[in-house]
Amino acid sequence: MRKRSIMLAGLVGLLAVIAAGASIAATGKSDRAGVLRMSIGAEPPSLDAGLATDTTSSSILFNIMDPLVRLGPAPALKAEPGAAKSWTVKGNVVTLNLDPKVRWQNGAPTTAQDYVYSWLRTISPQLGADYAYQFFGIKGAEAYNSCDPAKTNCDTLRSQVGIKAIGRYKLQITLTSPQPWFIQQLSHTSFLPVYKPIVDKYGNKFTEASNFIGNGPFKLASWKHDASLTLVKWPKWRLANTVKLSRIELPIITDGATAARAWDAGNIDVDETGVLPQDVPKYKKTAGGARKGSLQSTAGKALQIDPALGTYYYGFNIKNISDVNQRRAMAFAIDRQAIVKYITQTGQVPAKGFTPQGIAGGPTIDKNSFMPAIHQTAKAKAFMAKVANPKKDVHLYINNSPGHIKIATAIQAFWQQNLGLNVKIQVMEWKQYLQFLGPPPNADVDVYRLGWIYDFPDAYNGLVLWTCDSGNNNTNWCNKRFDALVDRATRTPDFDKRVALYQQAESILTGPNGDLPIMPIYWYTFANLVHKNVKGWFVGPTSVIDLSKVTVS
Amino acid sequence: MLKFVVRRFVWTIPVILLVVFFTFAMMRQIKGNPFQVTERAVPESIQRNLDRKFHLDKPWYTQYYYYVKGVFTFDLGPSLVQRNQTVNDIIKEHFPVSLRLGMLAMAWALLLGVPLGLLSALKQNSITDYLTMAFVNSGSAIPNFLVSTLLIYFFAVKWRGTFHLPTNGWDNSIGGWKTWILPAIALGHAPMTIFARIVRGSVLETVQQDYIRTAKAKGLRWRRVVGLHVLRNSLIPAVTAAAPLLGFLITGSFIVEFIFGIPGIGRYFVISVTGRDYSVTMGITVMLSAIIIVANMVVDILYGFLDPRTRDART
Repeated sequence: MRKRSIMLAGLVGLLAVIAAGASIAATGKSDRAGVLRMSIGAEPPSLDAGLATDTTSSSILFNIMDPLVRLGPAPALKAEPGAAKSWTVKGNVVTLNLDPKVRWQNGAPTTAQDYVYSWLRTISPQLGADYAYQFFGIKGAEAYNSCDPAKTNCDTLRSQVGIKAIGRYKLQITLTSPQPWFIQQLSHTSFLPVYKPIVDKYGNKFTEASNFIGNGPFKLASWKHDASLTLVKWPKWRLANTVKLSRIELPIITDGATAARAWDAGNIDVDETGVLPQDVPKYKKTAGGARKGSLQSTAGKALQIDPALGTYYYGFNIKNISDVNQRRAMAFAIDRQAIVKYITQTGQVPAKGFTPQGIAGGPTIDKNSFMPAIHQTAKAKAFMAKVANPKKDVHLYINNSPGHIKIATAIQAFWQQNLGLNVKIQVMEWKQYLQFLGPPPNADVDVYRLGWIYDFPDAYNGLVLWTCDSGNNNTNWCNKRFDALVDRATRTPDFDKRVALYQQAESILTGPNGDLPIMPIYWYTFANLVHKNVKGWFVGPTSVIDLSKVTVS
Repeated sequence: MLKFVVRRFVWTIPVILLVVFFTFAMMRQIKGNPFQVTERAVPESIQRNLDRKFHLDKPWYTQYYYYVKGVFTFDLGPSLVQRNQTVNDIIKEHFPVSLRLGMLAMAWALLLGVPLGLLSALKQNSITDYLTMAFVNSGSAIPNFLVSTLLIYFFAVKWRGTFHLPTNGWDNSIGGWKTWILPAIALGHAPMTIFARIVRGSVLETVQQDYIRTAKAKGLRWRRVVGLHVLRNSLIPAVTAAAPLLGFLITGSFIVEFIFGIPGIGRYFVISVTGRDYSVTMGITVMLSAIIIVANMVVDILYGFLDPRTRDART
């Protein structure tokens, strides 16, 4: 039969092709030493320091640029000199002395004027930078950002912004208030400079690999959109002799399962895409290179867990659940330990209060907070008994994701069984969910789920969310005393005094006599896979990955 | 024939306009802020700056005019989410990948599906028929993402010593052919089962026809009868199925692209909507419509070759 023999020939041909591929020796394993292959979970939306907002872009920028300061080891996370070799703080004025050894990758020095140009560009209304708000602590920044260039000439406002170059290597910043965490905040991606000549020459395309010029330990060698990035060591970096990696391959693998398979097959050394909960038990036992001192004791195993500065919480609409004792009852009726052990499974810590324990001063700040790790049914029922008109029908809103749905289902069960509440879970698509929450939240919302990842390692960044005017306060809660404490912290440079203020504020939030507008559940972690030939790889609490200290043998 | 083609091209314009209008209206209805990606609220001044930059502060008819103008000048605007890319950049970079993936998947589907269907039909109710149809039907019951995951697990991880296939990624240059194999099979799998069943049914019907019996009675070799008469007359339903299928394969490969980490355009169909990237959504919807229109036109032309009767009916 002619057709059958043709089909047979086709199949044989296909198998021959595959076999031919098999007989060609595998090329992937040439020269592994000094080369790190790390999967990342998304295409970076932008490598323009003024526009980058997500952790993927930030991680890459942190390694192709030279940040002004780097954060030291946890828990203090003190600011350590980087591109800024020293600084002085006098009242509202911060003066940074830049290291003249910091150069752009074409040899030109990075000067104070580079920072003036870059920061004003990010604050400018024309750029439309999401993270311009990071600069609002600087005098005149918010006013300049709010200017409408179509209606007025914004140049006057621009010249009034408190960022000045004094000489070649001195940068003077005038703040609106002391903001003692400002130096630590400078470690954020938004404060990285961009190189004016390439912005002028290439416009929007200056971030393409063939055009980009950074000033950090690695050069952006290639960027195939949605596919991969490659970084190579820049031998002229000021500390190049400490950098052990010669090349970094960053394939973009969005699917967590595929990333894990790539790791299993040895195609990548680090899976930074993130481990799925169902894979966790397996990788806790697989051999690998997880470092000692990761949150869970998986040292020497594949699964590396690093603490994150972030809190997963449920917020109450206090207009609907108006009795604080009902909110306390609901907070006490759930079993946080069970949720992190059986649902999330990657070493999360049951949250005692809102401020994560990894923040400097965290344990002191949370000293009076009393969210229980395991549920306390008797106490929960006791609180509930004090409620005059309990809200029995509760609408719980969450956004659409398997993890959130599982946690909500568990919490629904806890509330149903322990407090007799009739809980309805409403799942919404992310963007519509955000609009629904306002603020102010839609009247149907009784409880909602959100998380907060800290921009910089100071408790202020989390506590300020709950002030009356915060755009991130979806609870309808407004407490002037709380606002006053948080405001005073911006003017309290002394660390211990500030921690005392934070402690008082946190007590109002999550203490036994507090208002409990929100119910913290757990503090976040990062869960990734690391091969045993990789040393020195970890995710910092602000999700920064410093590749200049990693070695691959 | 030429008149037919020209007429079809002219009709494309109102169809595209309609598509642009409906997409625009629907995107407006679903609400959501393109600029709020995480739970962080966007401060008012920044929201204003962004709305102004992307013309979202203009009335809807002005925005609609910008879109329509963009479509007909082939300048589809900047992406709202990927701030250093334009929609044209995205399409230029990622469409060729999806095109190659779609064509390879189609090739796999045809090369395997048509012979299997033909074989089953010619050996109807034999053990060959039953085994082949069992393979095809069970295959069609397994969803795309499961096929992808199984292929990766077995061929790229478990048996990587034998096959040396990568777990993920796509290299569009000729040297990267190894990255094409598993995704093409995964994506072409379901269409393969469709073709197998369509061809089987169609061949069964054709074989019953009088002219086939006449050809056999005349003494023609069975192989010639099958190759020349049976196949040509049975392929019309397959061609009908192939046109929308090709459109879907080129653009609807979201799941396969997501799982294999392939930088194609299929993923953008989903992520541009969930991310409210209006310009990308509009751009690729228009592109998809154009592809389907062209695919349907190609099919109609093919009909003319396969079945002379339609040719006469058209003129």
